[in-house]
Amino acid sequence: MKKLSIIVVLALAVTVWSCSDVKREQNRVYMPDMAYSRAIETYSDIDTLAAQGIRYTRMPVPGTVKRGELAPFSLPPDKPGETTNYELSKQLVNPLPPMTEEQKKEAERLYLVNCGICHGAALDGNGPLYNGGKGPYAAQPANLATGADYVKMPIGQMFYSVTYGKGQMGSYASQLSSTQRWMVVQYVKDQQAAKNAAEAGANDTAANK
Amino acid sequence: MIDQTPIARKAFFTFSLVILLSFGNKLVAQNGEAIFRENCARCHSLTVNLTGPALLGVDQRVPDKKLLAGWIRNSPAVLATGNKYFNDLYNQWNKVPMPPFPSISDAEMDALITYITTPPPADEPGGEGAKQVVDEKDNSILYGVLTLILAVVALIMLQVNSNLKKLSDDKEGIPSAEPIPFYRNKTYIALITVILFIVGGYYVVKGAIGFGRHKDYQPEQPIYYSHKVHAGTNQINCLYCHNGAYEGKQANIPSLNVCMNCHMTISEYSAKSEKLYREDGTEIDGTAEIQKLYKAVGWDPAAKQYTGKETPVEWVRIHNLPDHVYFNHSQHTKVGGVQCQTCHGDITNMHEVKQHADLSMGWCVNCHRETKVKFDGDDGNKFYSIYQKYHDEIKAGKRDSVTVSDIGGLDCQKCHY
Repeated sequence: MKKLSIIVVLALAVTVWSCSDVKREQNRVYMPDMAYSRAIETYSDIDTLAAQGIRYTRMPVPGTVKRGELAPFSLPPDKPGETTNYELSKQLVNPLPPMTEEQKKEAERLYLVNCGICHGAALDGNGPLYNGGKGPYAAQPANLATGADYVKMPIGQMFYSVTYGKGQMGSYASQLSSTQRWMVVQYVKDQQAAKNAAEAGANDTAANK
Repeated sequence: MIDQTPIARKAFFTFSLVILLSFGNKLVAQNGEAIFRENCARCHSLTVNLTGPALLGVDQRVPDKKLLAGWIRNSPAVLATGNKYFNDLYNQWNKVPMPPFPSISDAEMDALITYITTPPPADEPGGEGAKQVVDEKDNSILYGVLTLILAVVALIMLQVNSNLKKLSDDKEGIPSAEPIPFYRNKTYIALITVILFIVGGYYVVKGAIGFGRHKDYQPEQPIYYSHKVHAGTNQINCLYCHNGAYEGKQANIPSLNVCMNCHMTISEYSAKSEKLYREDGTEIDGTAEIQKLYKAVGWDPAAKQYTGKETPVEWVRIHNLPDHVYFNHSQHTKVGGVQCQTCHGDITNMHEVKQHADLSMGWCVNCHRETKVKFDGDDGNKFYSIYQKYHDEIKAGKRDSVTVSDIGGLDCQKCHY
C-alpha cells in the first residue's frame, strides 16, 4: 500500500517535471491532406521540385518585366574596379510624373522602412543601426540631408546606387520595385531641397538681423 | 587688490597653461574625429574592415607620413607612381578606388592621422548588456505535488479513522461488519470514477479542440535568428525583411541578400550586447550564427566577396493556415491597418519566434466582429462609400462605427472558396 503510493507520487512528479512548455513540435492535425496544401504554395516543401532542378529562390529570368512596372533598368552594374556606368547614371532622369500627395506619403513610408534604419529618419546618416558610432553598424551611413556629395549627387546616380548597392550598402532591387526606388530617391531629393531652402531661409533671416 | 606673490603668479600661470593645453589637445583630437567622420567613416573604421581596410596601425604599415597624406589627398596619383604597397592593397580590395580628398589641409591631416592611429578607449565590459536572467520558476509543479501529498494524507487519515472506529466498536462490544479495503469501498470507487471522468474529459476535449492548432509552436531554426535583437534592440522595421506583408498574400521570408545588406558590415555579435539563449537554456554564440549566414550565402568575409558556393537555409515555417482558408497579408496590413503584433504577438521581445495566436476560426471571427474599419473621415477607405445604408445610419446617429463583420467579414466565402 505504502509502496504503491510512493511509486504513484514519483511517477506523477517525473511526468510533470518532464513536460517543458517549449513546443518544438507541431500539434497533430485531423486531416493532413487538408491542413498541408497539396498544391505547391509559397514555402511548401519543394524537395520533389528541387530534385527536378526547379527552385523558387532563383533570380527571375533576365529581362523579366513585372506587370505595371517600368521597363528594366538599362544600365548594367559596373564590374569591380570600374565606374563607367556609375558615371553614366548621372544623366538618368526620373521617368515618373511628379508625385501626388498620397504618393509622397508612400515614398516617405518606403524611405522610413528601408532606408531610415541606417540613414536616419531625418536623413542625417544617423539611424538606429549606426547611432553615432554606438550601434552595431561600423560604417557611417551617408548623410543624405547635408552631406555635400549627396546634395550634389544627381538623382540618376542615386537610383543606380540604390539599385546595385554602393560601398557597404547592398542592392535594394529585391526589396523595392523600380517605381518604388524612383519614388524613394525622389523623396530624398525633395527632402534635400526642402532642407536647403529652410537653411537658406534661416541664413537670410540671420543676415537680416 | 590681490597680493600677487611670485608663487601665486607661477601657480596661476601653470594652471592656465594646463587648462589651455588640455583644451587644445581635446580640440585637436575632436577635430581629427570630426574630419574622419566627415570624410572617411563611410568606408573605413578604425577596427573593422569595411569597404576599405581598418585604419588602426596604419602608421606601422605606412611609416612615411608624407606618403600616407599623399595617398589620402590623391590616391590615383600614388597608384600611378607604382608604389608596391598601395598597388597591392588596391588589388587586394577588389580595385575599389579611394576617392581623392585634396581639400584636407596640413594641420587637419596631422589631426586626422593622429586620430586614426590612436586606439579608441576600450569600452567598459559588462555594463548595460549583461542582463540578468529572471528566474521565473513555475510553481504549478509544487502545487501539484502538495495536492497529491495532501490527498494521500487525507486517504491515510480516513483509513486511520475507520480503524479507530472499529477498535472502539470492538471495545464496546458492538458487532461490526468485516472491514472493506478502500479499493473495494463503493464510495471511493465512485469518487475516483467521477474525478477520472472530469479530468479525462477535460483533457480529451482540450486535445480534440487543439487538433490542428499550433499555438506556442516554437521550432528550432537552422540559424538562431533573434527577432528581439533585430526588430527590438535595433529597431529594424518588420517590413524591411518581410516586405511581402504589405505587398501581397505572403509575408515572405527574406532572401539572404537582405541579411547581407547589414551583415556585410556587421560580422560579429558584440560581446557587450545581451547574452543570447535558446529556450532550453543553452547559450548562443551570435558571431557563430552570423558565420552560418556567411556560409549559406557564400560570402568570404576575409576577401570581402561572394564565392558563389550557396546552400539554402531551410527555415521552419511556424504559421500555417490549412489549404481551405484564404488569408492575405496586404489586405490586413495595408488596407486594414492592422499591426503585425496583433496577430504575431510581442515579436520584438521574442528571441525565438513562437506562434502567438492559435489561428483558429473562432479567433479570426472574433477579431472581425470587434475590429472597426476606417469607414469615413480623411483616412477612411474610399471603397466604403458604396455602403450607403451605414453612412445614412451614422448620419442619423443610429450607429457610431462599422465593424469588419458589418461589411461581410463573416461571410463564409470571404475566406473559404
